[in-house]
Amino acid sequence: MSSTLLPEEQATDSHRHSKSSEMRRYGFFPGCVAKESCKELFNSTMLLADKLGIELIELTAASCCGASVVNDTNRDIARVLNARTYAQAEALGLDDVITICSTCTGHMRAANKELLESDERMNQANSILGKFGAKYEGSVMVRHLLWLLIDDIGLDKLSSMVVRPLNGLRVAPFYGCHIIRPEKVNGWESARNPHSLEDVITAIGGEPVDYAGKTRCCGFHIQLEKDGVATSMVGQNMRIAKDRGAEAVITPCPLCHLALDAYQQDAAARWGRTDLPTFHLPQLVALALGVPAEKLGLNKHLIDPRTILVERELIA
Amino acid sequence: MAQIKLDIFRYDEAVDAVPHRDTVEVDVPVTTTVLDALETAKAEVDGSISFRRSCRSAICGSCSMNINGVTGLACKTPCKSVMNDQGVIQIDPMPNFQPMKDLVVHMDPFWDKYTRLKPYLQPADRDEDHETERRVSPADMKKLVDAANCVMCATCYALCPVVSVDPSFAGPAAIAYAYRFIEDVRDGKKKERLAQINEDYLWLCAHCYACSYCPKHVDPHDRIVDVKRATIQEGVMMNHPGPRHALVVNKTIKNTGMLAETEVILGTVGRFNFRGLLKIGPQGLRMAIKGKMPPPFLKPIPKADEVRTIFESLEVPT
Repeated sequence: MSSTLLPEEQATDSHRHSKSSEMRRYGFFPGCVAKESCKELFNSTMLLADKLGIELIELTAASCCGASVVNDTNRDIARVLNARTYAQAEALGLDDVITICSTCTGHMRAANKELLESDERMNQANSILGKFGAKYEGSVMVRHLLWLLIDDIGLDKLSSMVVRPLNGLRVAPFYGCHIIRPEKVNGWESARNPHSLEDVITAIGGEPVDYAGKTRCCGFHIQLEKDGVATSMVGQNMRIAKDRGAEAVITPCPLCHLALDAYQQDAAARWGRTDLPTFHLPQLVALALGVPAEKLGLNKHLIDPRTILVERELIA
Repeated sequence: MAQIKLDIFRYDEAVDAVPHRDTVEVDVPVTTTVLDALETAKAEVDGSISFRRSCRSAICGSCSMNINGVTGLACKTPCKSVMNDQGVIQIDPMPNFQPMKDLVVHMDPFWDKYTRLKPYLQPADRDEDHETERRVSPADMKKLVDAANCVMCATCYALCPVVSVDPSFAGPAAIAYAYRFIEDVRDGKKKERLAQINEDYLWLCAHCYACSYCPKHVDPHDRIVDVKRATIQEGVMMNHPGPRHALVVNKTIKNTGMLAETEVILGTVGRFNFRGLLKIGPQGLRMAIKGKMPPPFLKPIPKADEVRTIFESLEVPT
């Protein structure tokens, strides 16, 4: 897997700490949903980090990334909120900030790009951060846990750590928009033909399912806007996945997870029953790496993923 | 020269009950565009293959189609970039449209959405009452240029996942083009335009950035966000779920530093909108049973006053 560095990363790479194997401390930005309705994502991420031998240091005073909604009203506020988070990471000596949500990834990277590309915007941010004694130097790089797994751990190493391979479980990847699009903000892999999730599924012994819905939208951001639209977007994508033989879905985004897990039932009227259990990325990886299933919060999902795991003799 | 096999969707609504596919082989250089390959196929092999085209230079916007499952202008797509090892290129009509004949689709819903948003200037006064020409400064014009570059090829509309399940959404192109008039200093109908575009489900944009593949770099998503901001600044349709959602999210972040899910759901649906709350009730109940309800009240993050300082320093007074 080759990754393309964005100009922001090339520009800052020289004065960043080296990302050598002995340094495995990361700033960790869990995001609001992993702290509220998807606590099982937060917990399974921490359990996975233990298995991987990395230290995720939570930025506990960080605010919401703006979740695309602050941007809808005021771009400056969305950007400076994130500058405050980056300043906190720098103050702790952490320039690698790891996210576990596609929307956080996209919006935090967009804010960072804007700050690093313009002195005017950086100065605006720092003039406000200065009011409470903070400053952002511009050294932070925001990455998703998925990219960390591939770039820092490596697929071969990940594969060698697997103690409970998935027995060819047919898993459909669901990326979530903001981890791949727009490419000028993310650009870590092709947004039209990404394969990082497929690579991870293969590395932990599953069989990735290729289907047209994998890079499409789950509709989470418009779930309350008009009846049935987000539901139908979920139904459409899950229908395609199911028809291509998927037994389960994996997503790096808790917003996608909420939509996929909750709306398949309501989408059945238009798209037929799909009932695909949806895993958070760290849940399924942690399971393969030997974390006991009962610690992963699988009982919190509306579509119980334990049924397929029992069928596949992955759990008792 | 290379043998390129065009695997083409064939259908004539006048005679065919179901579509079929034809593979047409043409001998063209691999650097040729998909459009030129189609032209060769039509001229040399099968004159009945139908597709829209005119300028062949990404200016007219006629030849948008689905090439290997990806929508874009055929005149801007080299065969080399899309053919597989066997030299095959799959060509289909744009999704989200009703096919008419082969690669030609019924564009009416797309044009209707433009028309509804009145894509022409409506100055506040009559030209004859105006002493001078209506001037626009270079800075004001610069804001409009990107959106005005739209060639109405409908690529973004075909890519939009919201349109694919709910055609009542105006779609990216029409909203971006409406922005071009909303922000035009010569126009006098800003509020009316914003109200209409809100009626046409402005807030159904799901922020998915599928429209970021615009062949003319209009970036409709960013223009949609601009229109949303204008809606809130002008105080238009503030009692609709979209603006309510935006404001309550901002409020909870300003107060606690976090996006407080429970308050956002109640604030968007409306605390006293009993029918709306009843509708989301079953879903909430299913989540509650699984222990997946967000907490009713959130403890503010440490140093939440810093977040408030950021908001207060940057909020535009309304």
